[in-house]
Amino acid sequence: MKFHFFHLMPYPDLPDDFRDRYHGVWVDLPAAELFDAAVGHQAYNDYLDELEYADQVGFDGICVNEHHQNAYGLMPSPNLMVAALARRTSRARLVVMGDSVALYNPPTRVAEETAMLDVLSGGRLVAGFPVGTPMDTTYCYGETPATLRDKYREGVELVLRAWQADRPFAFNGRYTQLRYVNIWPRPMQKPHPPVWIPGSGSVETWDWCAEHNFLYAYLSYFGYLRGRRVMEGFWDAVSQRGLEPNPYRAGFLQFVAVADNDAEAERLYARHALYFYNRCLHLYPGFSSPPGYTSLATIRQGIEGQIKLAADRNKELQDLTWSQILDRGYVVAGSPDTVVQRLTEMEQTLRVGHLMVLLHFGNMPKETVTYNTTRFAEEIMPRLRPMWAEWQDEWWPKPVAAPDETHLEDASRRGVGSERAVAVAAEPGGS
Amino acid sequence: MQAETIGLGGNRRAVIYRGGDGPPLVWLHSLYGVEADAPVVDRLSERYAVVAPLAPGFADLDELESIRDIHDLALHYDDILDALHLENVVAAGHSFGAMIGAELAAHVRNRVSRLVLLSPLGLWNDDYPVADLFGVPPVDVPRLLYADPSRAPGSGPQPDVESVIALARGMTTVARFLWPIPDRGLSRRLHRVKAPTLVVHGAEDRFVPRAYADDFVALLPNASRAIIPGAGHMLTVEALDQTLSTVNAFLNGSLTPAGAAPPMAAEPQRGSGVTAPTQRRGDGSVAQ
Repeated sequence: MKFHFFHLMPYPDLPDDFRDRYHGVWVDLPAAELFDAAVGHQAYNDYLDELEYADQVGFDGICVNEHHQNAYGLMPSPNLMVAALARRTSRARLVVMGDSVALYNPPTRVAEETAMLDVLSGGRLVAGFPVGTPMDTTYCYGETPATLRDKYREGVELVLRAWQADRPFAFNGRYTQLRYVNIWPRPMQKPHPPVWIPGSGSVETWDWCAEHNFLYAYLSYFGYLRGRRVMEGFWDAVSQRGLEPNPYRAGFLQFVAVADNDAEAERLYARHALYFYNRCLHLYPGFSSPPGYTSLATIRQGIEGQIKLAADRNKELQDLTWSQILDRGYVVAGSPDTVVQRLTEMEQTLRVGHLMVLLHFGNMPKETVTYNTTRFAEEIMPRLRPMWAEWQDEWWPKPVAAPDETHLEDASRRGVGSERAVAVAAEPGGS
Repeated sequence: MQAETIGLGGNRRAVIYRGGDGPPLVWLHSLYGVEADAPVVDRLSERYAVVAPLAPGFADLDELESIRDIHDLALHYDDILDALHLENVVAAGHSFGAMIGAELAAHVRNRVSRLVLLSPLGLWNDDYPVADLFGVPPVDVPRLLYADPSRAPGSGPQPDVESVIALARGMTTVARFLWPIPDRGLSRRLHRVKAPTLVVHGAEDRFVPRAYADDFVALLPNASRAIIPGAGHMLTVEALDQTLSTVNAFLNGSLTPAGAAPPMAAEPQRGSGVTAPTQRRGDGSVAQ
């Protein structure tokens, strides 16, 4: 199986009485009042260091994502972060998780930027395309909820065509009309970078991913017991199409805290987990369910998205405690043995080949993140690595050349995509 | 009220509720559909042959596949009235329905003879923004829609899944035409409205502030307004008698020969010198 270091890049300096003073962390939280650029400067640089460190210690992928107008995650543009990472990492795949296609006008902007990143990184890019949270898409970016998904899907189709078209083409869509589509550059990976879809439990997305052979990733803050129903829905959609239940079709996100024992885990990580759950996930319920965002079929299934779950929980107006976070499985914490046992159980339940881990929580200082990352890489990854070894991962970037060999002269001499170039491609983690 | 489905061009259909006797009146429902408007529709049907189309999307979201923007929507209503042979008809709408009525009258100038707009949506003013109905949790919606939130109808202890779905369908439709700002350019078209118009607003509307009534009157060629004290956005619930007597006075005045007494309940527009909607035409001339 494969391991990815996911960073949310939260704003780390929300006040202690944040929940009392503000109704939510997203959309209308006054930036002029709370955002300190000096704190942001330090945070961005620490966070990029942490992602680069994950590359150095052997994570298969490093992940970033897109959010707007919030203190939960300071990445309105994940592509900017990956541009920085492309130059400072050499092995890890760059997993943009991802670009909210419906928010780019025109969506060919996504095709262009991802192609840039893929070429720049030597074909290490994973292109993730989320619909986007209700807050990001409908409240911050003004998208009409009823048409958001249709616009998103049209945009993804346009990006796929723009990456691969043999010649310039015209695109007469419902939401985008372009007389000439002809992006420069084109992606290095052929036919195109792997497409991963971060889902939140919409039933249509399962079928759509299965139909297009996209990887489906469930980004859960509420542990794998909550995620189980969603992943079962996805695997049902896969099996209904007669596709193989290859675990590498799927990803799952989990907070993990590695320590010597439970007591050390609490001492090192508890307050940072509480910062995340009680401040970063302090969501105003008024922004959780714009009418039309959730399809009627999904409502009928009774599946509630992450955002609605968080916002509803928020109505309790009580801070979560560390023991609640552990008991409910939101964070897997403890000694290496405990963590391995819990993650093995999770893997067997959910059947996911791509495990995305959050090792930075809320306002965790860099030393603690480094400690957690090192222990995960050295003591957890090797023990779980053999799982799913019998399956091929078809959803994984295939760099055309080892990045440190992609000098312009070499590339022009041997021709990009030659057998030799493929042969020297680094394959950290294998399978 | 009896519901029926009529066929329209372009493979479209529409659900129409009909009931009552008298001159025809088209009722354009508020945010929650015809059935939710039952009290006002029942009362109107005591005097009029009420025709109340259900907005597309409310019965089936797929209807919005071919009705994608406000122009499609206005022309859809024109198609409905065409199919029903209602050529020059009184139209009254509330909230979202009033926005549709204004759009219809602006798009198809001879379709509507008299226009009643109850707490209409459709305009935007930075000085007194329309509140974000979609940006509050359900529990806070009554506070926006009612002067006295306790007047809001309860939703029952445990709504069944079908009523949750029906509400979601309706609000999805409404949001389709109001999101993120309930301004689809009506201010550029209101000058086209030929029909004498009455704008009625609740004095304590916290969703669409009462100042919008003045904006409508200022932009419409031939309009006056009435303010209902003590009522919020849902004035058909909070002040049904007073709302209807105001509307009836306006319509009675207009249905009798010229020179009849002006409707008493309608306040003249401030500073315009107009005392009754029947006394000024779109070109500014005075009725004989």
